[in-house]
Amino acid sequence: MRGSVAAEFLLLRKRRSTWILLGIWTALATFFSYLLPYVEYRNGDLGGGPGEVPLEQLLPDRLAGQLSGGFPFFGGVFALMLGVLALGSEYGWGTLRTVLVQRPGRLHVFAAKLIALGAGLVPFVLAVFLVGTVSSYAIAQGEGVEVTWPSAWDVVRAFAASWLILAVWAALGIALGVLTRGTSLAIGVGILYALVIEGLLSAFADQVSLLEPLVEFFLRANAYSLVEGVGASTTSAATDGPGAFSGPYVGGEQALIVLSVYLAAFLVVSGLLLRRRDVT
Amino acid sequence: MAVDQLTMRVRRGEVYGFLGPNGAGKTTTLRMLLGLIRPGSGSAIVLGAPPGSPQGLARLGALVETPAFYPFLSGRDNLRVLARHAGVPEARIHAVLEEVKLAGRAGDRFGTYSLGMKQRLGVAAALLKDPELLILDEPTNGMDAAGMAEMRAFIRSLGQERRTVLLSSHLMSEVEQVCDRVGVIRSGKLVGEGTLEELRGRTRLRVRAEPLEAAERVVANLGPVEQVAIVDGSLLITVDPGAAPAINRELVVGGIAVSELGLERASLEKIFLELTQGAEAA
Repeated sequence: MRGSVAAEFLLLRKRRSTWILLGIWTALATFFSYLLPYVEYRNGDLGGGPGEVPLEQLLPDRLAGQLSGGFPFFGGVFALMLGVLALGSEYGWGTLRTVLVQRPGRLHVFAAKLIALGAGLVPFVLAVFLVGTVSSYAIAQGEGVEVTWPSAWDVVRAFAASWLILAVWAALGIALGVLTRGTSLAIGVGILYALVIEGLLSAFADQVSLLEPLVEFFLRANAYSLVEGVGASTTSAATDGPGAFSGPYVGGEQALIVLSVYLAAFLVVSGLLLRRRDVT
Repeated sequence: MAVDQLTMRVRRGEVYGFLGPNGAGKTTTLRMLLGLIRPGSGSAIVLGAPPGSPQGLARLGALVETPAFYPFLSGRDNLRVLARHAGVPEARIHAVLEEVKLAGRAGDRFGTYSLGMKQRLGVAAALLKDPELLILDEPTNGMDAAGMAEMRAFIRSLGQERRTVLLSSHLMSEVEQVCDRVGVIRSGKLVGEGTLEELRGRTRLRVRAEPLEAAERVVANLGPVEQVAIVDGSLLITVDPGAAPAINRELVVGGIAVSELGLERASLEKIFLELTQGAEAA
């Protein structure tokens, strides 16, 4: 297994799309979490002057919540693409058969891919947390505010919650990649689901009460509920553009369970499909 | 149905040619032998193990269809990925690259390779595990004439080592040059199998003589002759070639003018066409 995991790490590391997605995600997360809110805070013309975005939100002690708020939707879409590319492109290039005739069983290759991808998601969280730390520190210095850091436990919880959310979206990407045996359709369907199905139904949930119980089981609802528990702002989530979410929120424990079940379900379905279907 | 009631046996140490026209079911058969697809019914044993089992795959190397590799990786890195999956020491990579004469371009991205170079990398990947059995599906596809000749010589040399080679091809000349035994497949069924000699059948004598009907009567009464027929204005005689002088003498003694007498061997191409078109007609 170690050799197969090393092979998958080599692939992940040498694939240009990994670095492109990491770069874009980190830049966007920093832009929307710190740069834009800070400009809004500084520029009174944009929305009522300083105080519209509270400065406290951008300071280091709110780091964990401020950063993890970007993972439920925007981070999720990037992870979805990573997941699709990890499996779907193997079908597209025909490399799955090249690998499978080398000896490892199908589930062996699948497990190696999951381990590599799971570890590969860590930099996607780490990079955003590092750049966010620098940004919040710079804002505090610029505003002459005393720097107070969040507790290590808060950061670890936010980090773990962010990773879990990315893992669930990546697993959805894997499932779609295996299901469609390619990348384009899988990414299209995944984004359609995230934007249109979850987005629209979530938006209508506060008007149509029938939708509320359904929305409570959406990735979006559970992911936002999870990061709310680690300090993410619900006000920001409600105005988060295409990823906006204004409820219903569920308990942190329920969110954790639902997301874990999604993760397991996506992976089991993908594993079964990969194991049973012909590789052409 | 792509493959139907196909029974074939590849013997250890031989180069077995799996010959058939495009769409005959060759690649489907190979995929089944490698465990990539599952047959609706029937069974196969590859190196003593079921198709696709890690035990069997550990001892075989395969190139199926167009070589498929990661386009963003170099040839060397592609082999590195496969070697890690297969548990093969990385030192082996250089050896196989040298063997297929690709070491000079191994650092280039696979996406920049010509079709011939891709085929070479495919063969290199198949050799990584130093396998007992090589399954090669149309390995000379896309190669120029020199590359094809080189690859065929290379495959022949593999067969002269301790390896067994199952070579799929639609090129009769390729199979003729490289293989010890041949199986011919048409519409998913095996329509002929044997050594090249066996497939060609017995050598026959072709005799031009006048009058032809009288010549046929004379020849038909000779002891060693198994069969005689008039084909295209000649006598076609199935007989041991050593009987040719005696047949000539008897015809001349019988007052028949013999203008031409020679051996006739069916070409593999003719046999192939007979087998495949015959099956189609049936």
